[in-house]
Amino acid sequence: MTTSDATWPVTRSPDPTSVVAGIAVLALGVLLLLDASSTLELSFGVLAPVACAATGAILLASGMTRRR
Amino acid sequence: MTTSSGSASAQTLRRDRDAGWIGGVAAGIARRFGIDPSLVRLAFVVAAAAGGFGLGAYLLAWILIPSGESASARSRLPTGRAAVEVAIGTGLLLLAALLTFRELGIWFSDAIVWPLVLIASGGALLWRQSLGGLAELPSAPSAREQPRASTPRTAAEVAVAESRRAAAAISRTGIGIALVIAAGFVFLQATGALGAARDVLLALVATVVVLSVIFAPWVVRLVRSLTHERTQRIRSQERAEMAAHLHDSVLQTLAMVQRSAGDPNEVAAIARRQERELRAWLAGRPAPGQAARLAAALEAAAADVEELYGVPVEVVVVGDRELDGDHEAIVAAAREAMTNAAKFGGGSTVDVYAESGAERTQVFVRDRGPGFDPAAVPGDRRGMRDSIVGRMQRHGGRARVGSAPGGGTEVELVLEKRQ
Repeated sequence: MTTSDATWPVTRSPDPTSVVAGIAVLALGVLLLLDASSTLELSFGVLAPVACAATGAILLASGMTRRR
Repeated sequence: MTTSSGSASAQTLRRDRDAGWIGGVAAGIARRFGIDPSLVRLAFVVAAAAGGFGLGAYLLAWILIPSGESASARSRLPTGRAAVEVAIGTGLLLLAALLTFRELGIWFSDAIVWPLVLIASGGALLWRQSLGGLAELPSAPSAREQPRASTPRTAAEVAVAESRRAAAAISRTGIGIALVIAAGFVFLQATGALGAARDVLLALVATVVVLSVIFAPWVVRLVRSLTHERTQRIRSQERAEMAAHLHDSVLQTLAMVQRSAGDPNEVAAIARRQERELRAWLAGRPAPGQAARLAAALEAAAADVEELYGVPVEVVVVGDRELDGDHEAIVAAAREAMTNAAKFGGGSTVDVYAESGAERTQVFVRDRGPGFDPAAVPGDRRGMRDSIVGRMQRHGGRARVGSAPGGGTEVELVLEKRQ
């Protein structure tokens, strides 16, 4: 087998939208876990801005990535 | 070189005084991150409403961020669906910030902040729309961006783009008005004044309903009539574009074939050339050898005419630019003017002078031939009327044909920048 026949692994840069969405879901999961273990007292007043911020960050990342 | 320096400038956070309203902070931040300045301004207004942070942050940024050069990077702004996502995303982040401030107790009053946020959002949309919008696309795509040689599609493409722009403008205006009205409702509700305004509102709604029932048939008829008229206009433009293209290509070639009837090789070459051009046009591809810039396209057209008619064509071009749909039209009109000058100019040299700047493009085609009386041209001669004057008018430009018997001919083509 010559060098040109070798199959090289294709490296892909991560999709920023997926990364931001993953971090947002992870953060929400941690908050809900803390709430379930009574470490944190989650109320609507706390959860609402967190949900808005997560959705906003995902949309912003998607828009900035897409550009057109 | 210019591009790279512009790109580097856009990567550094600088205040943009030219595009700014006060100190250019919001415009500079928007330029740095490639988002709409209206969103950053809205963020500062909302933050100022929530405890005055926005005002302090703006002043601090004004002091700390150095002033930048005047070059803008508006082309980096997202458009279409991306712009909507960026706008909604930024709005949700602002809402999250406001809710957090409210939860922490850093808050004026619901009666002030929410109406202010709504009126700022609606006002920003309306202002942006009234100022023409930053994300508006050019009227026609460039030849390089979208390979296209199908001239008859131009009118339809432009019409579709116009319809989309109009629909987007109506949507933005509608949302802006709804937000401002909602701000009024929220303020009246929060201050307890809605009860007093209810009677007035009911009377207003009743009046609007009655007037709508009375005038709805006329409005519907008017809208249908306008739509029909618009469709007819588009079809008429498409027919005119098709006629102009056929005149410039097939009819000219047939005339050449008649002239060269004694030379079978020459006739075959002309036919093959026309076939290639026509196939490309039917397939919507750029014509073989079609240039992407104005100067090159004019020189190619001049060389073509020189080769076909054996008449010297001198071209001088000052300034250059990418070819978009409108500039492809000015090149086609100039080519037709050169062809006319070569055919009827008595063998004299044809001079072409073109000047292209940021605001306008002008092309002059002159010959020192016998000239003619433009008013005496028969109605069935379509070259000057459709391929030059009509074509320029369809693309928002104008053409002037100056000629007198014995005095040569000058054709002036002007294309102003679309607003």
